[in-house]
Amino acid sequence: MKKVLIMIALCVPMVGYSDETCMSPYMAKIVGQEDFVYVWTLGVEGLGDEQDKLVTVDVNPMHEAYGEVINSLSVGGRNEAHHSGFTDDRRYLWASGLDTSRIFIFDVATDPAKPRLHKVIENFVSKSGGVVGPHTSYALPGRMMLTGLSNNKDHGGKTALVEYTNGGDYIATHWMPSEGALNGAVKSGKYADGYGYDLRAFPRRNVMVTSSFTGWNNYMMNLGAMMASPEAMAQFGNTVVIWDLHARTPKKILDVPGAPLEIRCAWGAKNNYCFTTTALTSEIWLIYEDDKTEWHAKKVADIGDASKIPLPVDISISADDNLLWVDTWNDGTVRLFDISNPHAPEQISEKKIGEQLNMVSQSWDGKRVYFTSSLLANWDKVESSGADLQYFKLYDFDGEKLTHKLTIDFVAQKLGYPHQMRFGAYSLYGLSAPVRITSRAGASD
Amino acid sequence: MLSALVNAEHHGTEPERKAPGWGNLEFVLPEPGSYALPEFGVARDSDVVTSENRRLGLHKILAGKFSLLSFIYTNCSDVNGCSLATYVLARVQDRILADAALRDYVRLVSYSFDPRNDSPQVLARYAEKFRKPGFDWTFVTAVDDQALTRVLQDYDQFVIRDYDEQGNEAGSISHLLRVYLIDQHQKIRNIYSVSFLHPDTVINDIRTIVATSNAKGDL
Repeated sequence: MKKVLIMIALCVPMVGYSDETCMSPYMAKIVGQEDFVYVWTLGVEGLGDEQDKLVTVDVNPMHEAYGEVINSLSVGGRNEAHHSGFTDDRRYLWASGLDTSRIFIFDVATDPAKPRLHKVIENFVSKSGGVVGPHTSYALPGRMMLTGLSNNKDHGGKTALVEYTNGGDYIATHWMPSEGALNGAVKSGKYADGYGYDLRAFPRRNVMVTSSFTGWNNYMMNLGAMMASPEAMAQFGNTVVIWDLHARTPKKILDVPGAPLEIRCAWGAKNNYCFTTTALTSEIWLIYEDDKTEWHAKKVADIGDASKIPLPVDISISADDNLLWVDTWNDGTVRLFDISNPHAPEQISEKKIGEQLNMVSQSWDGKRVYFTSSLLANWDKVESSGADLQYFKLYDFDGEKLTHKLTIDFVAQKLGYPHQMRFGAYSLYGLSAPVRITSRAGASD
Repeated sequence: MLSALVNAEHHGTEPERKAPGWGNLEFVLPEPGSYALPEFGVARDSDVVTSENRRLGLHKILAGKFSLLSFIYTNCSDVNGCSLATYVLARVQDRILADAALRDYVRLVSYSFDPRNDSPQVLARYAEKFRKPGFDWTFVTAVDDQALTRVLQDYDQFVIRDYDEQGNEAGSISHLLRVYLIDQHQKIRNIYSVSFLHPDTVINDIRTIVATSNAKGDL
């Protein structure tokens, strides 16, 4: 019986492990070959059924269906599909819509090849006390912490974290600290904007880190119109907040000007730091704890030529904390940085992936790197460039260079615009691949 | 509790690390009572049999006190699985015995999800190793398969029996470690997993909900 090279650390503290694609340290991980990539996909008018959908791609080269879309589950409308995240038992995938604030909970455990829609949370805004735009779904023990991007009073950037049970029941709302409502937080600089975006946790330091983007007014606006409006461009986040994870209270507000987006934290047992990139200023920032347990933020590298607005989006940190993939949306390029000295990252390579580039997810061993293209419905490029405009791509990585393995053109397949990717595997649930999709090479599993 | 599943092969070189619960906490916890532990769901009832071979409802065991409920099986050998859970509960027991303000308000419950092997007699022997005389620490398991299936669903315990390459039961069970803090009204107030479970954290949380209940005149 051929071993499937999958290990699931259900009970192991994850401090020493990579994240597989930068997920919660509380969660079971796939450290071998993933079977599937679930792509949360934006529905587009005039394309297929025009609905948001969860697209399942078979990515196991031992399967007959390798490289194919094997399932597409539409959710009944368009919601500005954006990010998604698993529960800590990895049985459910939460995927949210930034426009409608609806949250779709998919069962990915019963049949990992064919997720089913388990539940839809329709009252996120009212339950949370006015939070709009659920973004990051982050697994904590037995519950999910969601970041918001906006609010229902002015649809600006002031927002909150919202906590749910794994079953989808509301628990609590934790507002981001802002001027006049610091909620116990200390300002370290001049900003306290109350904006939100991404979230990561350091359980061993009792720290939660959040970043800041912009509100509904901006992320639903046409990109050109927004960038031409000084008023709109002034409505971007400039902060990273350090929270007491256990108490859910904000402790310190760090100035990180220019819309710090994704947060990726190191995995080494002594590596008490995270990285983020700023969308507007094209910089890598280090968020780190010093030897007196104080947290700081500092710019540590430039990403391309900021004057050309490359617009850094997703990032991914390697298992050993030595490499950081940085996608820039506007030039469709991924840059690889050596971060072995986190205080002085150095770019070591770059490669154009497509006309636009947003998300990046790497396997636990770093040998496979996946990319998707879409950022936001009203920001994405529309000039046709064939398969390089709205795509899912897989590359092999040998430690030095990326080698293209496959491309799925999401427009040609009438699926929509592909966004967040999450990995799936039969072995997470004690299952084996059905015979019908085993390899044509005859390997058993 | 093994971390590897069927046909799995661990090809990493990472040495096994002991979970934070085995050592000193690396950070200063917030003051008890300075933070909220909102209710999030009801701890469901279930028919159980105790190590004293008594059949009763889980709610009867949980009633009237703050409970720490742990899901285990006694054959578990994973240092960061059930062993960790029982170790932490034992440390909590010591701390509560030494604290007059908590002694009458807290109990421990260890629930085995392996009733096939963990008979009341086996549970009684297991309890002897850890339970201090007179302390309110109950060891239970399901009365039948139906009750077990239900309780696993109710407490989000996803369990996989491990098999060897020949398809024989390996004797180990993979599951996601979870320990529940439940108040006197059977409301869940916190859930701890491997990275989170620590005696200091649990005691801090117990003091927090005791303080809240005292303030409400609910004790």
